[in-house]
This record gives sequence, C-alpha cells and structure tokens, in this order.
Amino acid sequence: MGVGDGDGGAAPGALSCRNLRKTFGGTVRALDDVSIDIAAGEFFTLLGPSGCGKTTLLRAIAGFEAQDSGSIHLGGQPLDGLPPPQRPVNTVFQSYAVFPHMTVAENVAFALEMQRKPRGMIAARVEEMLALVRLQGLGGRKPSQLSGGQQQRVALARALAAAPKLLLLDEPLSALDLKLRNEMRLELKRLQGETGITFVFVTHDQHEALTMSDRIAVMREGKVLQVGTPTEIYERPSLRFVADFIGEANLIAATRVAPGRFRLAGGEELAATEDAGPEGPVTLVLRPERARLAAPDDTEGQALTGTVDQVVYDGADTTYHLALAGGAGLRLRAPSHGGRAQARVGDGVRVRVEPAALRAVPD
Amino acid sequence: MRGRAILLVPSGLLIGVVLVLPLVMLLVISLMQRNPNGGIVWGSFTADAYISFLWERGFSGERELNWDYVAIFLRSLGLAGSATVTSFVIALPTALWMAFQPPKRRLLLVFLVTLPFWTNLLVRNYAWMLLLRVDGLFEQILHATGLLTGRLGILYTPTATAIGLTYSFLPFMLLPIYLSIEKIDRRLLEAAFDLGADRWRVLTRVILPLSMPGIAGGVVLVFIPGIGAFISPELLGGGKTMMVGNLIQAQFGYSRNWPLGAALAFVLLALVLAATYLHRVRFRSAP
Ligand SMILES: Nc1ncnc2c1ncn2[C@@H]1O[C@H](COP(=O)(O)OP(=O)(O)OP(=O)(O)O)[C@@H](O)[C@H]1O
Ligand SMILES: [Mg+2]
Repeated sequence: MGVGDGDGGAAPGALSCRNLRKTFGGTVRALDDVSIDIAAGEFFTLLGPSGCGKTTLLRAIAGFEAQDSGSIHLGGQPLDGLPPPQRPVNTVFQSYAVFPHMTVAENVAFALEMQRKPRGMIAARVEEMLALVRLQGLGGRKPSQLSGGQQQRVALARALAAAPKLLLLDEPLSALDLKLRNEMRLELKRLQGETGITFVFVTHDQHEALTMSDRIAVMREGKVLQVGTPTEIYERPSLRFVADFIGEANLIAATRVAPGRFRLAGGEELAATEDAGPEGPVTLVLRPERARLAAPDDTEGQALTGTVDQVVYDGADTTYHLALAGGAGLRLRAPSHGGRAQARVGDGVRVRVEPAALRAVPD
Repeated sequence: MRGRAILLVPSGLLIGVVLVLPLVMLLVISLMQRNPNGGIVWGSFTADAYISFLWERGFSGERELNWDYVAIFLRSLGLAGSATVTSFVIALPTALWMAFQPPKRRLLLVFLVTLPFWTNLLVRNYAWMLLLRVDGLFEQILHATGLLTGRLGILYTPTATAIGLTYSFLPFMLLPIYLSIEKIDRRLLEAAFDLGADRWRVLTRVILPLSMPGIAGGVVLVFIPGIGAFISPELLGGGKTMMVGNLIQAQFGYSRNWPLGAALAFVLLALVLAATYLHRVRFRSAP
C-alpha cells in the first residue's frame, strides 16, 4: 500500500496529518504530536481505548475542532482554517444523526442540495445511493420508521452522496447489535471497495479493526503508538500495550541476556528469532495459538514445562491455562478437534514455543 | 377496570366543576333575557343576545345590520395577530441566541425571561403608560438624541395596544421556541455543517423545521389570549380601541347586559376552538 507524502503531487484522497496537537482545558492532551499518512482509497482504522483521542482526530480532520498546532493536508491541499462545509470530507456519526424531519431521500439529497446541483441529477444520485446501501424503495420513509441498521445505512448514503474525497466514520457500528454489526462490517468493506473513497474508521473493537482495515493506527493517550497492516500489528507489535490491546497475548517478564536470548523469572532460557535491542528487562509476547502442547514422546525443540490449571472449551477452540515451572501463568489455545482434550487439569505438560513465535517488546 | 375508573373521579369532578359548570352557566345566561338592572330574567329563553351581535333594533323596532361588534372582533384579531408576528420576530433570534449559550447561563436567562411574571400585569401596563406618554421616557430619549422633535403620540392608539400585547405575551412565545431549539440534538447541526450547509441553511433546513412544535405552541399561546386581552387595550389604547375582552367586560359591568356578554364570550370561544382545531390538523404529526 503506497503512502501519500503530503506533497503537492499526492492523490486526491490521500490524507496527511503532521504533528497535530490539541489540548483541552490546558491539561488534557487529546492529540499529542500525531502524524499519520493515509493513502488514497485506503481503509484506515484508528484503534484505541476510550479517551485516547480518536474522535478528536476525526473532528480535527472534519474541521469541527481546530488543532493547536500541526497541519492537515488532503490530496496535497491544506485543510487548515477551512470550515467544515468547505472540506471535501464527510462524516458518519456514531449516533447516525439522521435528520428526523426529512424523509430518507431528503436526507440523502441534503449534501447535493447544499451544492445546488440540478434536481434531476439529485434524484438520480439519490436512487443510486439508496441502491448502493440496499435501501431501494424506502426513500419516502421517515427515519423513525426505520430500524437502527437501516438508519445507519441512511447516514452512510447521505455521507457518500456528494462523493467526498474522504469519509470519516466514528464508531459507526457500536450502536448496532452483534448480528447487524457483522453484516454492516461486510457492507462497509463492500461500499469502500465500490466507491474507492478513502475511509478513516474509528473503533475500539480490535476484532473489527483487524478484520476490516488495510492499515491500523493504535492510539493511546493522544499518541499514535504503531501504524501497520493488521498482520504487522498482530504479529509484530512494537510495544507491550499494542500486544496486549490487540488480540490475546501472554506477556512474560524476561531479561534479554544476549540478542535473541532471554531468561525468564524461573531461570528458563528462551530464544527468539527476529530480535534487536539492548540487554535488560523486556516483555516477551506469545500469542496463545502460537504455543502448543507437545506430544508425550516429543522431546525436541524449545519448550517450557508446567501443569494444567484449567481447561476451557469454547467450541472451535480449547484454551489451556497453565502454571509454568517458574511460577508464571501461560495460556495456550488449540483447535478442539471434536472435543477430546489434549490434557487434563493437574497434568504435567511440555509446551513447545518456536523461536519465531516469540517477540520481545520494551517494558 | 372498575377500580381504575374510580381513580378518574377526582379529575372528572375537577373538570366538571371548574370547566364544564361555568361554561354551562355562561351558555344558559347567553340564552336569557337581560334584566336592565343587571343579571338576567330567569326562565325567559331567547336568542336575542346572539341576534344582537349582528342586528340591532332601530327606532321603529325593525332590525338593522350592525357591524360594530364584528369590527371589534376583527380589530381584536388584527391586534392579536400583529402582537403574535412581532413577538415571533423578537422571540426567534432571542431563543436561538439563548439556546446556544453555556448551560449555566441558559438557566439564568430563562429565569430573567420569567422575571416579569413576578409583578402584576396591570402594574406592568401602567409602566408602559409612563414610558409612552407625552413627555415620557421614550419621548425624552428621542428628543435628547434629536431623532424626534414633535410628539411621539403613540399612547392611546392601537399601536400602543399592540406594543402592550407584544410585551405582555412575549415570554409565552419565547419560552416554547427556546425549549424546542434547546432540545435539538447538536449533532444534527454538526451533520448539516459537515454536509456542506452554511449557517443560514442550517437554520432554515434543520433548526426551524425541528422547532416547529415550539413555534406553533408560541403562536397559540400568544394569539389566543391576545384576542381576549383587556388590560392593554384599556390602559394603553385608552379605551378608544376596544377589543373583545373590553366589550365582554363592559357587558358584565356598566352596560349590564349579561346575556350579550355571555354570547360574545361564546362567539370568541368558537373562534378559538376553530383556530385550535386548524392548528391540530396542521401539526398532527408533531411530537
Ligand atoms: N470538548 C472537550 N472538552 C474537554 N475535553 C475534551 C473535549 N473533547 C474531548 N475531550 C477529552 O479529550 C480526550 C480525548 O477524547 P476523544 O473524544 O477524542 O476520545 P475517543 O478516543 O474518541 O474516546 P471514545 O472511544 O470514548 O469515543 C478525552 O480525555 C476527553 O475527555
Ligand atoms: Mg469517540
């Protein structure tokens, strides 16, 4: 995925945020030196816990909040100082914010009417948009006569109607129930593919972020911690927080004794491929599905030993909670394979840990 | 079911005693003959009072059309209408401004709007007499600033009545409009801006339609009591520009024509009910 560089020659939908800072009330750092480059046509996700500044960043891009310093460029053009109506950016709000006094069609037509487009063109475009979000035939209804999911589609069609260069989506699915949310995820991906518009999508649901995004920016306390594809973020987190926030992870305290060599609290030594950094305390990240119980006759490879504390069956997978010989806990997950557990509570087990499955992150 | 029906008895009694009973009495009175000494002659049914609304008896006893009462009704409608329009024009921007103040200041402003209610309406209309009279405060200010050399000459004219009505009923226009604007979800306004609307079109396309219930309520609350108002026309109109309220008051007072007073009250009620019905039909879907 190419990345816009914010220069004059950038593609029309490429967004570049440079050193954005925003403070509320002198103390709350909602944005703390945020720099992000988003390529045209990318599905880019901002992911982070509540209060980390995701909404503030979107509002700065949309023009509702002026950053204290830093600049925002869209397609190489600076947006700074432009009021919201003049930015070729539209927003899908978490609460839908569909106009209750207008019909579905009037809602979708709103942005085009604001641009004083000819009536015939507006009518055709409204039909096209309603078809795109699969609301054909509902143009005459009032929003109060629609379900939550349908209202969300109206909000989407309304924001897309004027063909913005950039669509901002602030937790658009959080008000929907699980089934509808899954449906709308696919829908959003499809819409993004069909329109080719750059999407900046906000969520604090890591699963949503992993399944939908081209790239993800993980944020905390106003800072961008890591930007990368879902695979990079999940497989190669750069910080303990990222590893912990995205997916499940065993976080094992260890000491780096040499590049790629670590000693655990209980004295066991582990090796990791792909490692760099100074000697000293680190956290080892081990995804539960990357460790596996060794067969009884398997004595090869790098391994840890421990006893089974708990076995949790959840359908497709079974999770084994282990107490390592050194005292630390470890979770590992394996496919259930028809419900026959590979170990029982109290069993002593050997756990294979491939060096490629381990990743050290700074404490 | 029976147990629940019993719970309705108190409110039924209340409505019966304070609303239906006086209305029935008024209806009965309007259908009696007048007693020239005041009150009515019991048991003497006649439609005279209603007939005399439009026709009066000439010297020779024949009935002649008389437009005087109709003129008073029309003037009342006109004055109430202009007070409604003026107070709307003042109330809308004020309500808009109030609704976008910080919450704490909003409370203070609402309190200030209701402040006049702490003094008697009569006293407040007297105050307007002092402001509008010859050599009153307004005239002095206009003279001092050189904007006027002669007399202001507003007091005891329909204009003064309209000013008094507007002043008296302005809070009833302002508060419902303010409440409905304040209730609008701010995210809808942001959405409108986001979709390319400028301030004017956010106002006309989002704020105004969504505050329609409040505007309609304000119009009803100003226009309907405005028709029947009698303090402002009496004091500020100098009794020369009579309104329906004064006319009715006079029938029960010095004119000693209770049946006519009651009949006029019923005609007024019919007008008001018709207006309310039209309003209902128009804003049926409003929440
Ligand atoms: N208008 C404001 N005034 C004061 N503080 C604000 C304002 N808006 C946001 N903040 C603060 O800025 C920080 C970031 O807020 P923001 O709404 O951007 O978080 P978020 O990541 O969107 O959180 P959530 O997931 O809960 O929506 C928070 O600490 C919040 O309290
Ligand atoms: Mg938010």
